[in-house]
Amino acid sequence: MEFDKKSLLKLGKLARISISDDKLNNLSKDLNSILEFVDQLKEIKTDQVDPISNSLNQKLEVRDDKVDTKNSAEDILENAPEKEMDFFVVPKVIE
Amino acid sequence: MVAQMIEGWNLVIGIEIHAQVNSKSKLFSSSPTDFGSKPNSQVSLIDAAMPGMLPVINKFCIEQAVKSGIGLNAKINKKSIFDRKNYFYQDLPQGYQISQYKDPIVGEGFVEIETENGQKKIGVERLHLEQDAGKSLHDQDPNFTFVDLNRSGIALMEIVSKPDMSSPEEAIEYVRKVRSILRYLGTCDGNMEQGSLRADVNVSVNKPGNELGTRCEIKNLNSFKFIHAAIVYEAKRQIKLIEQGESVNQETRLFNTQSGETRSMRSKEDAHDYRYFPDPDLLPLTLDDDWIKGLQESIPELPDQIKERLIKEYSLSSYDANIIVSDKATSEYFEDVVKNRNPKLVTTWVTGELFSILNKKNLIIEDSPITSKQLGELVDNIENGKISNRQAKEVLEEMCESGKGALEIIDEKGVSQISDENEIESLVDNVLNSNPENVKKYKNGKDKLFGFFVGEAMKLSKGKANPKIVNDLIKKKLSQ
Repeated sequence: MEFDKKSLLKLGKLARISISDDKLNNLSKDLNSILEFVDQLKEIKTDQVDPISNSLNQKLEVRDDKVDTKNSAEDILENAPEKEMDFFVVPKVIE
Repeated sequence: MVAQMIEGWNLVIGIEIHAQVNSKSKLFSSSPTDFGSKPNSQVSLIDAAMPGMLPVINKFCIEQAVKSGIGLNAKINKKSIFDRKNYFYQDLPQGYQISQYKDPIVGEGFVEIETENGQKKIGVERLHLEQDAGKSLHDQDPNFTFVDLNRSGIALMEIVSKPDMSSPEEAIEYVRKVRSILRYLGTCDGNMEQGSLRADVNVSVNKPGNELGTRCEIKNLNSFKFIHAAIVYEAKRQIKLIEQGESVNQETRLFNTQSGETRSMRSKEDAHDYRYFPDPDLLPLTLDDDWIKGLQESIPELPDQIKERLIKEYSLSSYDANIIVSDKATSEYFEDVVKNRNPKLVTTWVTGELFSILNKKNLIIEDSPITSKQLGELVDNIENGKISNRQAKEVLEEMCESGKGALEIIDEKGVSQISDENEIESLVDNVLNSNPENVKKYKNGKDKLFGFFVGEAMKLSKGKANPKIVNDLIKKKLSQ
């Protein structure tokens, strides 16, 4: 799999990360070498193996439906760069 | 009529219902789920996506999803997987929503709806568990958006239908039916005004015989009225485009509740590249057979079964039975009243008079000012002839206003029906004797005068005479 510059820019856009032109080449080289490395996995025969989504052979832990409020609005907003009337405030996002 | 507007066109509708699980705490955190609390007062470090926080799933939510699946006649998947759905938006602090993609907890099922042409089966594609997002307020400030994360992380069941509906009416019936099933099961409170249940509607149009058209998705409809209006508007818009030789773009649209129009929200191009992958923080969810079986046995009687039973036990019409079972509270109320009483009379008083009072007062049956016991007492007094139907209506209104019982009002106001035959006979004699001319005309064939005699007799009794006995006696006397 080849990761071209166009795909890289799109990925950046989706993650809201701007990638400057001078970094494009190196970044694309890095990502491709990672992909090449991971591609080695394709050499392994897996047609007799069930797909797994997690490599741990354990059961999912569950919890009871109990309420435990640890934070107040003040706590949770403490690190917010902008806040008002207990809301987080962000730049207008509606189109 | 919609049918006329789209004559010559097929409508194809599929619906995604988002139903909040009726849990006390969130899907992956212990924060409360109460509606209308102070902004950001129900946000844990997990909900705010602080670094290093790990999600732990709520057992109750898993149960509710499986119960709902059983209620939708669906396949329960013994293994399901949680995935990350990646997108960037301010109401989603994680930067991804934990959802289920290829392996949902519930697979294919179906519900039956009533249509103009009888019963119709609507396929359910799947039901999966996912996190709700926070809420954005765009109208508080001209330059900024305000974010409240209280809703962020509440468990949602997303129920995806097959594109089996072909009119806005069918779409509404489907949502009604699913909502009703969830409410019977107690897995979601179905409160659309508060957003506990919302629908995304996919609409496309095509000419009969042609292949399917391009579909548009209308997001976040939170009332039956809006679902209907949005589908009608969208179908018209697409037909117009095609008739003008243009094509429909596949896109997500928003419904403006003020103007009744839909408008483009975002194009599918890259906004919908969600880059799903299994969430490494969560192991696959496995369910065992005994546990599923236990839940199956705990499922209460559902609307379709109750309907069948009501028709069988009380000889209700399918129409009446449908109205009664459409809502759990209504069917419980009805069954309380109907026990050992005349089903036909009870049906009339519940779906007719009581409903009209509730409508007028804009109340739901849970908040009815008249309890099922009180309505039963009223019906008893109609049945034993103590009061007439007309009087009963007045008594019911009075019960509503004063909160007093039927008997109390009847005694207090002296409302009662005269059912004593001798007393009524003297009334009838009185009327016939004072109108000898009309009696003669009647006997000579002027049948219409019958109503006149009944009216006079009722007037004379100040409306208290039992109309049936009056009728019978006049008929008997005039044929002598």
